[in-house]
Amino acid sequence: MTRVGIGLRSPHVTAIAAVRPPLGFLEVHAENYMAETTALDRLLELRRDYPVSLHGVALSLGGAEELERGHLGRFKALIECLEPMLVSEHLAWSAIGGAYLNDLLPLPYTEESLDLFCHHVEEAQDALGRRLLIENPASYLRYRHSSTPEAEFLAEIARRTGCGILFDVNNIYVSARNFGFDPLGYLDTLPAEMIGEIHLAGHRAAQDVDILIDDHGSRVAEPVWELYAEALRRLGPVPALIEWDTNLPALEGLLDEARHAQELVNVRCHLDAA
Amino acid sequence: MPKSWSMSAVTSTLLELQTRIGRAVLGGDIAEIADAIEGDGLDPAARLGIYRNHAFATLGAALEATFPVVCRLVDERFFAYAVHEYLREHPPRSRCLVEYGADFPDFLAGFQPCKDLPYLADVARFEWALHIAATIREAPSLQMDALAAIPAERAGYIGFRLQPSVSYFASSWPIDAIWQANQEGEVPPVDLASGGTSLEIRRADEAVAWRRLDSGTFAFRMALAGGVVLAAAIANATQRDPEFDASVGLQRMLAGGLAVDFSILPEGA
Repeated sequence: MTRVGIGLRSPHVTAIAAVRPPLGFLEVHAENYMAETTALDRLLELRRDYPVSLHGVALSLGGAEELERGHLGRFKALIECLEPMLVSEHLAWSAIGGAYLNDLLPLPYTEESLDLFCHHVEEAQDALGRRLLIENPASYLRYRHSSTPEAEFLAEIARRTGCGILFDVNNIYVSARNFGFDPLGYLDTLPAEMIGEIHLAGHRAAQDVDILIDDHGSRVAEPVWELYAEALRRLGPVPALIEWDTNLPALEGLLDEARHAQELVNVRCHLDAA
Repeated sequence: MPKSWSMSAVTSTLLELQTRIGRAVLGGDIAEIADAIEGDGLDPAARLGIYRNHAFATLGAALEATFPVVCRLVDERFFAYAVHEYLREHPPRSRCLVEYGADFPDFLAGFQPCKDLPYLADVARFEWALHIAATIREAPSLQMDALAAIPAERAGYIGFRLQPSVSYFASSWPIDAIWQANQEGEVPPVDLASGGTSLEIRRADEAVAWRRLDSGTFAFRMALAGGVVLAAAIANATQRDPEFDASVGLQRMLAGGLAVDFSILPEGA
């Protein structure tokens, strides 16, 4: 059985509805479906044939202010409407002073922000009535006063709140390249049993500086596939997602990537059985 | 979480950090925050600039998708400049980007560098109405016989809720003609002196549609859409067009599926 899904983008909706390709699930950005839109109607139609994973990008769990109750309420209503198989969010903040920045901004990894983030995860899990998976970010900056490595910070959040972890393999690769750490060491720091989903995506090199950018705009890079294979060895076949959000190819391009991810799962299962 | 845990004590320094970063991401001075960021072999400003560029690029792309003709009228470079200024002053309040840009037309109306395109803000208002019609779900229409049980003397106090995807929009410029001309590769000439328009924009048969309404019908429906009760909406309409036939107007409005619900203002209210 396939456990690999793809991120649903509006230009692909018609093709998916027509072809009904074999996919483990579809993942959508929760915020794209919180209004009473025709897009939600089309998603509800696809929902009859596919499990849906809800990926929030704007709860701003790392925000120093209170969580926005209105947004939580809309998130909760969408969960009730879609009955998603997974609900996830980010180790990041994205709103301040009433302004939504549409960015996944990094947190300083301190005791202060650990307490705050855990408080918000617990609050959100209570309000939504669901366990969250928290995704590791792709990072382009670190703060001088960060005192804890990110992997330890994320592991501690899972331990304290009982939330799961969404392990984004591309983000780890990008961050590890940008800051010169060992991505497998990062993975080994995370509690494997808490990892409930994997993300796979493409990245690009920044134009003027030696930085990788997580832009979800191309095929998954070879070293990211290699890391994924390593992750499978450690984690087993957790649900995996192909994310492709910019420079979108035709649906077949995403299905190709999903098939490749599934092949790696099959190889792993075969090796484990042998 | 232990009871002694205090949000305010824990968040004060983080709040200050995020407030400064928020300002920088929205176009403020990055130098203000650079001292908090590890260089790691790069200028800290360049690192924060990656986040800022992402915010501006994605929010700008959302606005360009909603306002493509505005973008075409002013050209892409000017549009990017206008968007930049708009984002700084009006960052999204809702975290659902489909709702972002409702006040962009008003911003353009007051944006001095656009002053030589007096119809630009109205083109933006029209495109926002198209965006609403394209994205917002239609609700089941009120049945024609839903009002049958209402006593005649209360009929004037009926207030309707119209389709959430429908908009009414009037301009002293031929906005629909300007918009239509800009769908072509080579923009044909538009007679700007040809007069204004009163438009109804909605979704019909899965597609966005608009049409020009006569002055009475427009005044009637616009008033109802604004929450005005039936008697007052009829008065609005007959003021614009003494020939306006109220019963025909009401019947057409219902037959067109425009109303989704109604309520009756209580007596004495």
